[in-house]
Amino acid sequence: MSKKRDRLQIIYDILSVIKEKNGKIKPTNILYRSNLSNQMFQEYMDELIQKGFILENKAKSGKTYSLTQKGFDYLSRYQMIVDFTSSFGLSE
Amino acid sequence: MMNYAIVPYWFAGYNVLFELMFFVIALLVGVYALRIYQLSGQKQSKLFGISFLLISAAYFIQSILNFAASYSMAEGCNMHSMAAMHSLSSAGIYAHMVLFITGLVTLAYMTLKIKDIRAYGLFLAAILAVLLLNSSKLYFFYALSSILLIYISFYYLRNYLKSRKMSALIVFMAFLFLLFGKIHFIFSVDHGTFYVAGHLLEFTAYALISVNLIDVVKKK
Repeated sequence: MSKKRDRLQIIYDILSVIKEKNGKIKPTNILYRSNLSNQMFQEYMDELIQKGFILENKAKSGKTYSLTQKGFDYLSRYQMIVDFTSSFGLSE
Repeated sequence: MMNYAIVPYWFAGYNVLFELMFFVIALLVGVYALRIYQLSGQKQSKLFGISFLLISAAYFIQSILNFAASYSMAEGCNMHSMAAMHSLSSAGIYAHMVLFITGLVTLAYMTLKIKDIRAYGLFLAAILAVLLLNSSKLYFFYALSSILLIYISFYYLRNYLKSRKMSALIVFMAFLFLLFGKIHFIFSVDHGTFYVAGHLLEFTAYALISVNLIDVVKKK
């Protein structure tokens, strides 16, 4: 049985998916690739927008998402965050 | 309250340097944890950061107090300045104890992973009440610190057993040394040698914490 993903890993997965198709990815695509329930996905997306990791772009064809600088920073520092949180016992 | 005579004469001044070192390391860990919180939004990192900032503030106050005590011992002072020094040191010792205990309570609350600020408030109020309403404040301060550190050390032991990582083992060892240091200070109230040993044990703890922090930062 695979180990349950923690919060940091889920955030990393969501941001990685957005990075792959930066500025052009639709919510259904992120939902599908992040492997989350609809409710969980919405909670994570709301939080990531609120905390300035991602930007929501509204167009006629629907919503798309892109990464902010903070989002890119998170991706590049993910390993450091994981190392810090696991060694200091901060995993939720 | 605290009896400065327990500081061996030869150690006066060195204790200030040790405490400033603990202040800097705890401050760096706290600031770094809050940076991790900014990046991850993880509540545990925020609590961890706040607890280390409180602990660093406690060490800063302790170092100022000990510096003032060492300075007044070296210079010699009159009755007026002695009275002023006594008032200043009493206020400073209270501030040190409250900040240090609040830091440890925040750390213990973080390990419980409860998302209820009322539980934290109750926990903190009960411990501060026991500390401040007690006649033997210094003994109770070290005893409460030791109890909280026993709990925190067990948490870090479990964390190590779960991850089996060297960094987690280092953090567990660091908290164990902090615990030994605090237990040592209980005896130091009557004996100068224990006071020195307590500082050396705390130094080992903070050296281990800084090794871990450097290791994480280096990988960036």
